[in-house]
Amino acid sequence: MKYLYVYPELCTGCRECSLACSLTKFGECNPKKAAISVVRDEFERFEYPIICLHCSDALCQKFCPQNAYYPENGILKWDKNKCIKCRFCATVCPYAAITIMDNEIIKCDLCNGDPKCVKVCSTQAIRYEEETHELTDQRNTLAKKVLGK
Amino acid sequence: MLNKKLAIIDLSKEKVKIEETPDSLRKKLLGGRGLNIYYLNKYLKSGAEPLSPDNVLIFGAGLLTGTLTPSSSRYNVSAKSPETGFLGDANCGGFFGPELRYAGFDRLIILGKAKKPSYLYLCDGKIEIRDAGPYWSKDTYEVQQSLRNDLGPCESAVCGVAGEKLVRFACVRTGVKNAAGRCGLGAVMGSKNLKAVVAQGTGGIKIKHPDQMQKLAEEIKKYLFSSKISPLLGKLGTPLLYEVSNAIGAIRTKNSQLNAWSDSLNAEEIEKYVEKMISCSSCMMHCRHRNIFGGEGPEYTAVGMFGANIGLENPAQVIQLNNLANELGLDISSSGTILAWVFELYERGIINKEKTGGLELKFGDFELAQKLLRMISRREGFGDMLAESTQAVKIFGESSRDYLIAVKNLPQSDPHDVRYIKAFALGIATASRGADHLRSRPTLEIFSKLPPEVKERIYGTKITDPTILDEKEKAVYFSEHIFAAVDSLGICKFICHGFNSPHFLDYSYFKKLIKAATGWEFSEKDLEETGRRVIDLERIFNAREGLTKEDDTLPKRYFDDPMPLKISKGHHVDRVQFASALARYYQLRDWTEEGMLKAERIKELESIK
Repeated sequence: MKYLYVYPELCTGCRECSLACSLTKFGECNPKKAAISVVRDEFERFEYPIICLHCSDALCQKFCPQNAYYPENGILKWDKNKCIKCRFCATVCPYAAITIMDNEIIKCDLCNGDPKCVKVCSTQAIRYEEETHELTDQRNTLAKKVLGK
Repeated sequence: MLNKKLAIIDLSKEKVKIEETPDSLRKKLLGGRGLNIYYLNKYLKSGAEPLSPDNVLIFGAGLLTGTLTPSSSRYNVSAKSPETGFLGDANCGGFFGPELRYAGFDRLIILGKAKKPSYLYLCDGKIEIRDAGPYWSKDTYEVQQSLRNDLGPCESAVCGVAGEKLVRFACVRTGVKNAAGRCGLGAVMGSKNLKAVVAQGTGGIKIKHPDQMQKLAEEIKKYLFSSKISPLLGKLGTPLLYEVSNAIGAIRTKNSQLNAWSDSLNAEEIEKYVEKMISCSSCMMHCRHRNIFGGEGPEYTAVGMFGANIGLENPAQVIQLNNLANELGLDISSSGTILAWVFELYERGIINKEKTGGLELKFGDFELAQKLLRMISRREGFGDMLAESTQAVKIFGESSRDYLIAVKNLPQSDPHDVRYIKAFALGIATASRGADHLRSRPTLEIFSKLPPEVKERIYGTKITDPTILDEKEKAVYFSEHIFAAVDSLGICKFICHGFNSPHFLDYSYFKKLIKAATGWEFSEKDLEETGRRVIDLERIFNAREGLTKEDDTLPKRYFDDPMPLKISKGHHVDRVQFASALARYYQLRDWTEEGMLKAERIKELESIK
């Protein structure tokens, strides 16, 4: 199963990911109306992309009084017709990965297996990868670091 | 896409009028620099004193600013320049331009003068003129951070104390280092009692064909990164140009008395002080350095102006001066040029301790440079004279003009000594805002290995020798148009065809991006014609403010003093050949022999509505 992984150290803060997301979902360019958010402050000197992790024991799903959230093939989806826009999901998400804007609940659905944000990231700060690949990469990096390779 | 408004703000009357920008105007001039000059010609009364309430200050986003279009972060600030008395216009990246649009506006036309320190607050289609009392007397970092503390996440374009004190080269700052840097537009803010323009918006920019724009962004990413130069620009940024110029002996050194300097300022050395490379909004290139001394930069201009030009070799010192000028809100191009100028004047005895208030001026003195930058920003002592920029000729005497590296009263921006590559010389002589490379720098002239057929395809000339003026008007003509078009679209020159590379985005990409965003059909020719229209409108502005053919010239030194070092040795610009190149340039532009627009063309441009 492939998921989105973010690497804040590679993020340059350009927000192309958010713009691609808002463009795909709403036909407009608006970095604040996107399922991926880049928190940044040039004075505090950080860039940090935030995206839904599709938790297997997700709080948004657990606490949604309408049962609007449901997993489907590993993707945590949201049913617009059940949603009453109470915004509780956004409040309980520990990663603040659900966006509310213009009375819309905006949550990543991985663009049905073809996430647009990844395609416009120029530094590979967001990647769409198999869980195993991601972990293998992390382990290799760690091993090299420890061994000084 | 076109759901963003035009606001006319009269600070004297405390009135705000919100209007639409007619599509007919956008189709002729796109936005950004193009529409700014249209409105400047319309609203500014000829002969207005730049630091009086009569000046008109315009903030304008490009047609594509804030969209998914790569590198579309840019907006222009325009007014009559207090530094030059001619067109003041500066293009700026960062995050303010996009936020201006998300807050509901394409363009702000600011008139009059506020009775007390004020700032403009823009939020979701509304504008308030607010009290800036608590933010006055703060430098550019502190004021932006205070605004964020008080208002939450927002983007601001501000002036520092230098702007309040009417330093003629105070810039408009946004973020840590992005600036509408040139022509003293921060002083225009100060003169209007306007400390900041703050944008905070949640409104998106509607796109006509979202799928097309997404596909174009993906295609452009692939295209940009198929070039060898893109990863280098993202790793080293503009300082990589230092070595290229220095290798041929074309780095302005010690006020252009010399033309080559130390390798200690090469990009690889600068890189050692970089913590991370970051981006402006929408940018895939990420050429901004977050340096280890708490600031951002340096750009190539800072490396040249605070390094070679004032005689410093230590990159750490250059970066610290860069950070200081950024925080104080001073234009680095003018700062470094003016410092080097007075150092030479002092060495030559044209000015002495009586003028400097007891200070001993010399090249290569880091502490002195730091002190002078601070004094300029507060107009203290000798700093008060330097704050006059090129107008300090009136204080230092007419003989001081011979050593001034400026055109149309604007100190030269580019650290490149243009005596060797002649197209650069013609470019800074004709640039509409004065000695500046970002109006026309025909960079491909520097690539000695570029095949003649490539040069012919782009510039329309087969001549490969960069050291002669023959046909160089064609290279300048091409570059002026495409840079004016890209400035009007809100896209960064870094990915513009002919600026860093013989590839990158040309008119064929621009027309596809415009179509995706608006549905409008443009041809390549239409877009080039837009560039020409912008240049002509800027000429009308300058002519109205008293510019003549005599102002399209070069610093005396570039004509009369041959370069002393490296392969550039012996090169200078011949006055007769220059006059002939200028005449050919006017002819190509279809201007009169006096360099003015013909009556029919003026009539044609005046009919644009």
